[in-house]
Amino acid sequence: MAGYSNLFDDMSSVVDETNSNRICRNRKHRRNDDDDYDDNGNDGKFKSKNLTAERRRREKLKSRMLELRSVVPNITNLNKETIITDAIDYIKELRISVTNLSNQLLDMEAEMANEPSFEMIQIRPEENMKNWGIESEVVVTRMEENKLWVKIVFEKKLGGFTKLIEAIIRMLGAELVDTNVTTTKGAVLVTSCIMGTNGKILVAEKVQEIILDTIEAIKLE
Amino acid sequence: MLDNSEMFESTAFYDPNSIITQQMLNIDHQNYSNFNIENQQQINWNTNTNNHGNNNCLTSQTPSPDLLNLFQLPKCSSSISFSNPTHIDQVSGQVMYDPLLPLNNLLPQPPFFKELMNSLPNGFNLMGCGSVFGEMDMDRGDHDQMYHEGDAVLEFGGGIIKNRDGHGNKDTKHFATEKHRRQQLNGKFDALKNLVPNPTKADRASIVGDAIEYINELKRTVEELKILVDRKRCIRGRMKRHKTEDDSTLDVESIYTRSNAVGGGGDTSHDQQAYNGNSTSTMRSSWLQRKSKNTEIDVRIIDDEVTIKLVQQKRINCLLLVSKVLDELQLDLHHVAGGLIGDFYSYLFNTKICEGSSVYASAIANRLIEVVDKQYATNLVTSSY
Repeated sequence: MAGYSNLFDDMSSVVDETNSNRICRNRKHRRNDDDDYDDNGNDGKFKSKNLTAERRRREKLKSRMLELRSVVPNITNLNKETIITDAIDYIKELRISVTNLSNQLLDMEAEMANEPSFEMIQIRPEENMKNWGIESEVVVTRMEENKLWVKIVFEKKLGGFTKLIEAIIRMLGAELVDTNVTTTKGAVLVTSCIMGTNGKILVAEKVQEIILDTIEAIKLE
Repeated sequence: MLDNSEMFESTAFYDPNSIITQQMLNIDHQNYSNFNIENQQQINWNTNTNNHGNNNCLTSQTPSPDLLNLFQLPKCSSSISFSNPTHIDQVSGQVMYDPLLPLNNLLPQPPFFKELMNSLPNGFNLMGCGSVFGEMDMDRGDHDQMYHEGDAVLEFGGGIIKNRDGHGNKDTKHFATEKHRRQQLNGKFDALKNLVPNPTKADRASIVGDAIEYINELKRTVEELKILVDRKRCIRGRMKRHKTEDDSTLDVESIYTRSNAVGGGGDTSHDQQAYNGNSTSTMRSSWLQRKSKNTEIDVRIIDDEVTIKLVQQKRINCLLLVSKVLDELQLDLHHVAGGLIGDFYSYLFNTKICEGSSVYASAIANRLIEVVDKQYATNLVTSSY
């Protein structure tokens, strides 16, 4: 009674969900046969329309299992179940490794941060930029009704780019569409289209003014 | 000894239709109706019950021909002569006269019935089918003798079953473990799916494919971390050694040149070799991909250059967010390119790792995904107002 309904549930859960309908159909085909059917499904009278697809699916799964087996250092029997079990264990093991190593790294870093003699190299961009004759500048051009094109050159500093973006988004209430940033010789070049958010119209002069102020602030840091 | 005449008197008792119906119903009423039993021809229970009056198989030569023919009873006309009780005695080993005969013959024939029998829990198969007959007993209270007869029937039926599928009694137990095994296997596939960070499709082949990729990614991460730890260890060793020297800036490069200059000393040279072998000559490379519901991140590290590709599916401008995270992770931004493509924001970041920082690929990816998803979540909340 209950056992039988479980039979069908199991049969469909064994195969993957997308194929479960096909399997049920296959079973109906089987029942129509009067002959014995081979449990392995190798019987020539297996009248499934999806035989090739089914076979391909099985082959695909089989080859992937082999691949999994090759990656995992198996030490047990090489049948489907143990491959999966070993893979699960191996993944867990690797994750523990990663956690341990990263903790170790953090500890070492914390330890070294306490050392007074440890400092990070600072970038000294302004010397470079000036050496190469690059001047900071801000160019603003109106493209469409509410689209402006901006070109900004400024000194490269840690966190400088972030400040610039923040200024554009927060203070101007603008959105950067299609941005390009490149750095060389201690200078940063930003070209971008900016649009006012929610249909806000940007005034070109205002934009230029704010951006100039921002890059001044960055320089002075 | 069985008093056959008693048995044969009441047609009600002897109605194979009702018995069979009952057995069918008892075994698996709801599923049975799903079965395609066309190969049995249309068993019309109604007509059979209507023919109840005709199924006076006790006295007729061919009892309920419809029903029994439907069940494809073996041709054993001699045993079907109900009019001859003594004959029945002789053939007590055979159960052609038995009302349950149709049942016994019925069961092996449709293939699904074999599965049906297999699916029954251990105690509930034809072999020890006490309950089947028990029910009959309950309904026909006064037929204990029939029950005994049922045992003989059982054996016979069992014989049929045995010959039919060749496994006999063991099959049911085997099936229970088979089911258990399958359930276990499915559970394992699910466990694997839950371990992997980017589950794509939920079918078995995809789960295994994702697992393979994840294992490779984990291996790369472990390698990367090992290299970083080694480098740190060397730097720490250098620092301790040169603590006496009053030097404020201590970067990797200067350490290297200084140790070269010192030379000599077994200790130093050993460290130097280790340093050479591990850090400077070993180029660290690592990459991984992470996908969340609306973000795709690809992080590649070669030596100290990090390339990040980010695709955001919803209209959140993540440029500022990413820039902040990069600052936090001490990544020096060199190039950025990207913008709005349809509904997607797509960006490519080229950054350099600041010296001394030991950030690794999966840390970058995880942090980015976390931040972007959080922003997306907060945006959803605010936009719903």
